[in-house]
Amino acid sequence: MKKLLSLVLVLCLCAGIFVGCSGPKKVEKIDDLKGATIGVQLGTTGDIYASDYEKDGSKIERYNKGADAIQALKQGKIDCVIIDSEPAKAFVAKNDDLKILEEPFALEEYAIAVSKDKKELTNQINEALKTLKENGTLDSIIKNYIGDDTKGKTPYVSPEGIVRDGKLVMATNAAFEPYEYIQNSKIVGIDADMAQAVADILGKELVIEDMEFDSIIAAVQSGKADIGVAGMTVTEERLKNIDFTDSYTTATQVIIVKK
Amino acid sequence: MQAWWNEFSADFYQNFIAEMRYMDLLNGLKTTLIITIFSVLLGFIIGFLVSIVRSTYDKTGRLKILNFICNIYLTIIRGTPVVLQLLITYFVIFASVRIDKTFAAVLAFGINSGAYVAEIFRSGIMSVDNGQMEAGRSLGLSYNTTMWSIIMPQALKNVLPALGNEVIVLLKETAVAGYIAISDLTKAADVIRSRTYEPFFPLIGVAIIYLIMVMGLTKCVSILERRLRESDMR
Repeated sequence: MKKLLSLVLVLCLCAGIFVGCSGPKKVEKIDDLKGATIGVQLGTTGDIYASDYEKDGSKIERYNKGADAIQALKQGKIDCVIIDSEPAKAFVAKNDDLKILEEPFALEEYAIAVSKDKKELTNQINEALKTLKENGTLDSIIKNYIGDDTKGKTPYVSPEGIVRDGKLVMATNAAFEPYEYIQNSKIVGIDADMAQAVADILGKELVIEDMEFDSIIAAVQSGKADIGVAGMTVTEERLKNIDFTDSYTTATQVIIVKK
Repeated sequence: MQAWWNEFSADFYQNFIAEMRYMDLLNGLKTTLIITIFSVLLGFIIGFLVSIVRSTYDKTGRLKILNFICNIYLTIIRGTPVVLQLLITYFVIFASVRIDKTFAAVLAFGINSGAYVAEIFRSGIMSVDNGQMEAGRSLGLSYNTTMWSIIMPQALKNVLPALGNEVIVLLKETAVAGYIAISDLTKAADVIRSRTYEPFFPLIGVAIIYLIMVMGLTKCVSILERRLRESDMR
């Protein structure tokens, strides 16, 4: 029995070493990111920007979902979260104890990811996006989700009488309000509506597949999905492996902290 | 062939060497091992205590309340997925504490493993012939002494393969630790994958690392088993 007790004691001691490693740090401006514990979603541009601070002694915690990072922030497990501005607004609207720092972190452009083997599809989508931009459909889709007085007023409806031939499989990560999120067990959002509009022009049936964000590019590359639409920013590294269409909207990265 | 090799080595470099990515893997491996070792220890302690309670109740009918509590513990732990237990430990039980994630994972996996180890130990204790207990008691040993120095050594020998299996299962189960943003070995592969967008090397590489660890463990268990069997073949 004594052996057992001493073993328990050793275990408790080791546990004690684990706990209480890093204390909280208040983040009030971008400079404060140095040395802070930063939460991000794995594989997002926020992750890539935050990783630059790793050499300054910051700890980066990579969650599978942005919402998990927010959860950890609310519970005080991390100091701040770096995420795209629109989802950030959605998170902050639902959580009174959080706020967005006014300094924007980085400006970026969202585009649709297409496999390098499908240049023709990229061109077709670019054409479709051009049409949607010119006739104002894209604007009304975005306004339907962003902006307090326009929200929910101009939902996208597919025009009637489209002959659909074949499928357009879209890979996304539906935890990124307002770009893509699950409502009434359906994936909705700017990206979903925009992809639907593109599929309508191409005359294809849109199939949306929900997966982890860091799997989207691999899915598009391997042909498991035709397009990746998930508020994806065009970056040098991604361009090495995949093609992007023209951008359909811009966004900023922001820092969320606890009030 | 040359072109293929060039591409292969370039990909290999990109996925493992560039930007010190092997350090991600090494750190991940360290975290996985820390979690596994400490949860195995915790699991064995919990499992041992629970199995003593349960088998004492089975054999003598004492410790009724403790047995009841242990039964609830076993039902809950064996009835829910380990991923949920991990998330509950981190986000519900330690909701308002800035707890070290590795510690939360050790607790979750240890408590989980304890339930399985308890049943393994109990089956071992029950597998020892009742005559052993009777012999011990009739020689004037107390219940505790008989249990500790006659039943337990035999039981341990019987359950060793099953225990080794449990350690192996636990090692592989820790792969879900990434759910609470722990950079374990699997998460390291995910991080590399999210940077290079090449699924092949990180995933296969990490799979091989797990495989090597499991093969090593299997070897250790079989050596231990052989050592313990030596006394049987006199």
